[in-house]
Amino acid sequence: MYRSIVLFVLLCGCSALILSKNAVAHDMTPTYPKWKITQHDGIYKTTMEMFNSRTDVNWYEIGVFDDDWKPIRFVTSYRVFKLEYLGVAKIDVYINARDKDRAEYICSKSKLKGGSNDKPMVESRICSRFK
Amino acid sequence: MNKFITLGLIIGLSGCALLMPKEVAAENIDITGTVQSRCTVNTDTPGVYGNPSAHQLTTLPASAGQVPIVRIDVSLANAYKAQISYPTSFASSPSLSDTVAWTGAVAVDQTSVSGMSAYQAASTTTGAMRSYALTLAGTTWFSVASTAAYGGGQAKAFPGGVYTAHVVAECIAQ
Repeated sequence: MYRSIVLFVLLCGCSALILSKNAVAHDMTPTYPKWKITQHDGIYKTTMEMFNSRTDVNWYEIGVFDDDWKPIRFVTSYRVFKLEYLGVAKIDVYINARDKDRAEYICSKSKLKGGSNDKPMVESRICSRFK
Repeated sequence: MNKFITLGLIIGLSGCALLMPKEVAAENIDITGTVQSRCTVNTDTPGVYGNPSAHQLTTLPASAGQVPIVRIDVSLANAYKAQISYPTSFASSPSLSDTVAWTGAVAVDQTSVSGMSAYQAASTTTGAMRSYALTLAGTTWFSVASTAAYGGGQAKAFPGGVYTAHVVAECIAQ
């Protein structure tokens, strides 16, 4: 009788520990992406991979910036896109040849909800660099 | 009779020896993996504002707040810098007619490598943002304290409602 109670308490404790320590992380690779030629003249492409293990965030935004953090025009399927918890996304980003050498950073930023009751306080942003 | 038994045993044992496999079959199954350079931003502890007095919101635990803890993992030394900013405005709040004075502090809370203890002294600040060069591979935890005072120095009471402000944690490739 006591053994089953102890086992139940241990199981509950472990479950609570696992739930309270679940990872809430945002990462993007590669650190140093490269532009690759495409079949279209004057258009270059790079592919970024993102992983979302933030339970509190489902939306991310992609941006490309120059050395002074001024935005650079680029094309992707969705600038703001949904990435579910534990989801992995490969994002193709296209840029003009004339902007290719100005592009210094490519960043992903978490988009936080403003109006919900679940209000995270940490906005994460990861920037990879073209070298 | 004993001779027959002995002979039978010898023949039996010889047969068994012949039937035994010549070598023990073993397979080495490899598990391979690659750790590429990456930076991961984790929210270890979400922040909560306490309301110790009518005109103040603070993350200090002594005032029933909770200081947010941001954890940054890097797998390659000297590849990234971390930029952590405490809030300087509310992301959502009731309508406010007076000014809010913001203060805050970003500090290294824990490190996975002893050499990272030098990060705080080597960090630089620009306004609300503190920048750290992540010169070692491993994990660093940053605490971000934040306080908002309402009333432009006259300590006016915050209007009732829900207040949210965002800490920004950035990991930028160098």
